[in-house]
Amino acid sequence: MLVGQPIPLTQRILLGATCILLLIGAYTIWSETLSYRKREEVANKLPPLKSELQTIEAQLASNPDDSDLVQAKQDLQDRISRVERDVLAAKDRRVPTWKTLYTDGLLRVTEGQGLKKNEYWLWEDSKATASRLISGMLAGVVLSLGLGILMGAYSPIEAFFLPTLSFLAKIPPTAMLVVFFILVGVGEDMYVTMIVFGMLPTLAIAVFQSAKKDVPESLIYKAYTLGGSDAELIWNVIFKQILPRMIDAVRLQLGPAMVLLVAAEWMVAGEGFGYRLRLFYQRTDMSVPYLYLMILGVAGLTMDYMLIFFRRYLCPWFGE
Amino acid sequence: MNEIVLECRDVGHWFGSNRVLNEINLQVAAGQIVALVGPSGCGKSTLLRAILGTHPPKQGDILANGRKVTRPNRDVGIVYQNYSLYDFLTARDNVAFGLMLDETSLLTRCLKPFEYRKLRNVHREKAMAYLEKVGLAKAAHLFPAEMSGGMRQRVAIAQALIMEPQILLLDEPFGALDEATREELQLMLLRLYQENREAKQAGVKPPYTILIVTHELNEAIYVSDRVLGLSQYHEGGEQGATIVYDKAAPVFHPGDARNFEEFERQKDELRNAVFDPEQNQHHAEYVAFWQNLK
Ligand SMILES: Nc1ncnc2c1ncn2[C@@H]1O[C@H](COP(=O)(O)OP(=O)(O)OP(=O)(O)O)[C@@H](O)[C@H]1O
Ligand SMILES: [Mg+2]
Repeated sequence: MLVGQPIPLTQRILLGATCILLLIGAYTIWSETLSYRKREEVANKLPPLKSELQTIEAQLASNPDDSDLVQAKQDLQDRISRVERDVLAAKDRRVPTWKTLYTDGLLRVTEGQGLKKNEYWLWEDSKATASRLISGMLAGVVLSLGLGILMGAYSPIEAFFLPTLSFLAKIPPTAMLVVFFILVGVGEDMYVTMIVFGMLPTLAIAVFQSAKKDVPESLIYKAYTLGGSDAELIWNVIFKQILPRMIDAVRLQLGPAMVLLVAAEWMVAGEGFGYRLRLFYQRTDMSVPYLYLMILGVAGLTMDYMLIFFRRYLCPWFGE
Repeated sequence: MNEIVLECRDVGHWFGSNRVLNEINLQVAAGQIVALVGPSGCGKSTLLRAILGTHPPKQGDILANGRKVTRPNRDVGIVYQNYSLYDFLTARDNVAFGLMLDETSLLTRCLKPFEYRKLRNVHREKAMAYLEKVGLAKAAHLFPAEMSGGMRQRVAIAQALIMEPQILLLDEPFGALDEATREELQLMLLRLYQENREAKQAGVKPPYTILIVTHELNEAIYVSDRVLGLSQYHEGGEQGATIVYDKAAPVFHPGDARNFEEFERQKDELRNAVFDPEQNQHHAEYVAFWQNLK
């Protein structure tokens, strides 16, 4: 096989599916092994109890009317059946089996919880996290694209913002969280502000660079010779030309925005994915966290593909 | 009836201590197709950029249609060598792009979308007519990325022509094309010139005025009716290049045979006057276009 040689689509799908199946298989083996060991551990308590029961039964056979013995036998039998129940219920909460993920994960987050049975975790957490993410991303994207394009179009604006933005882009946004907690407080506004400021420096710089690099000056000059105004140059030439690259830049910001949001929710939220993850982390119960991780992954992929689709629809000229 | 559409008055330009253009005086009349030749690096592109208005000259004035050029505007059209087109528009919309920019504004397009739609159809029809003129009607729906170099260059020419600029600048437009495509496009220029002559006979202003920079002497003489030489090889050449050659060129009809042997005399003259580093004498005898006309 040559370096860089492409493969047919069916092979591509097959290989991708194999990796996913391997992952699922490995997880199944791992979780089943751990829960088997857990059952063994509990079941190991049974043989001593059973031999004790035999000795009591032997004593009873020679001495049937001893009420103490009858009572002891009764107690022992109760203990054995309790342990036997424990064996059946024994599960490993660090790597839950698929069944546990379903019963203790999915069912728990979709059924009513809490004292009044009126908390539907999945629904409430999704609502909180999604609304924070979407409003933050929307505000951040609009601001960054506007600023980036203006910086690309007008050198004074570039000169004014670029040094500061480059500096801010180098501070890890998660480290900036403390600033937002203190200055904005821990309300819903904080999440939006945090996502906006988290993505603005990087995204605005990416858009600015694209506006500089991907719009040859010959296209700009030509638009003037075709009778374009300054506003038309920005909208009909620069914006249209770099739109697909901006969409790709936004796609790259999805990951960081989710990191930032979950981290902030982990620290200060009262609902949301980050909050629920921390709660279950404290109980070392992973059945809900694993489920939430899967949901986060699927949601991220969905948004990413929506943006790709959006780009293909709006910019058919751009290719894949 | 020689309406002057482009005039350079004592134009000079330099980059630091590198003096590039000096005392360029030039008048181009409506309907002329002027070829500009000169040694590599003599400042042809610099002169074109000055006429276009993107890099105004440091000395002297350039007038297009009687107005001083200070920034690129719709009086002066441009076709670059690298066939720069708008990637996000199809061939047809690339050609119609200028009509949209020129005849509507961003605000009216937003506020009156329905009227704009009607107008856009008119623009597109006109664009199709121009695509037909450059022989590309079939490729109207293609994006630039899907076209060959020659096709892109034709679209770029139609895009500039549709604006009916006072003067159209072509900077080595066919430099990167293969011989066959080059010939086709040269024929296209001859057909435009034919339209000019018909207009002149009918007593109206000829529609196409073109200034074309080329490296190929045959091409220069073939497509133009006037050849300009820009060169630093002249008396006082260290002050920068100036116009050292300006004479009429034989006019061809699109159907005529391309017999380049006829060109040898003029090519020799050009080599001598423009390209010979030893030629430091007076060049006044070669700058004779307007005198010869009288
Ligand atoms: N932006 C610039 N900065 C400094 N010097 C420049 C710049 N642009 C051009 N020059 C110089 O000006 C001179 C003329 O350049 P120009 O590109 O106009 O030549 P040209 O005649 O178009 O050459 P060619 O036939 O190779 O295209 C050259 O010596 C070049 O080095
Ligand atoms: Mg050049």
